[in-house]
Amino acid sequence: MKKITTIWIILLTLTLFSFLVGELKITNNFFIALLLVTTFFKGQLIINYFMNLSEVQLKYKLLPIIWLASVLIIIAFTYYLPDL
Amino acid sequence: MKKIKQLYPPGDFGVWIIIYIELLTFGLFFIGFAYSRREQLDLFNASQLLLDQRFGFINTILLITSSFFIVKSIHIIKQNKIHTNIHNASLYILSAIFLGVLFLIIKIIEFSDKYEQGINLSTNTFFMFYFILTVFHFMHVLLGIIILYNLYRNTKNGLYTHDNCQGLESGASYWHMVDLLWIILFPLVYIIR
Repeated sequence: MKKITTIWIILLTLTLFSFLVGELKITNNFFIALLLVTTFFKGQLIINYFMNLSEVQLKYKLLPIIWLASVLIIIAFTYYLPDL
Repeated sequence: MKKIKQLYPPGDFGVWIIIYIELLTFGLFFIGFAYSRREQLDLFNASQLLLDQRFGFINTILLITSSFFIVKSIHIIKQNKIHTNIHNASLYILSAIFLGVLFLIIKIIEFSDKYEQGINLSTNTFFMFYFILTVFHFMHVLLGIIILYNLYRNTKNGLYTHDNCQGLESGASYWHMVDLLWIILFPLVYIIR
């Protein structure tokens, strides 16, 4: 249970980081990339430890992980791709 | 010793099919938002300034903590100490419901604020996506709270035990999905610019 409490604290800390990026209006490419990476990390923690998929067969946890990665990669792609 | 992998995800498998479908549906909305933002960058950035990020931040904290309480309730039930379990686990579920209700109240305040500013679904593309995504998510939180209330009643009545808590795990999985969706919605709509 101590592990889950640690994960909860990590999730809250990363959420505070996201909020500060927005509140301080940090819009440079590095911080947006970091924001997307931390969002992926947060999602992974929820999938593995809250949804408890870390101990199930790979095929069942692969779908939410692929979903999470795909959505965030496409968001990054639309953010970083130069204007046509 | 190596841990044995479970055959299926926790809870009923039917719930997982619903969860996978919901993830795909919201995923398409997220991608739609991101592509539309790229097409109308100035409009999206200007409209985003009209949102209060503090609402989004507090709501993220509420949902994560609510999910955490549900994890704790399942852990307590699985400990196999019947009397203390029922009381403590139901207390955690009740706290999770309370946080979920707070989430909805904050969303209603935020929607009212937008309505008073004359902002609605047809104001522009950004707000169209904002209302579709957040109202759709709002409905999921509402359904999640109804599910959690049923879990609370069942837990209080001693229906779940350490070797039979599939119903509790099913409802919990749905609630964590609602949390997972918000984890992406928050930076996408409120933060990234």
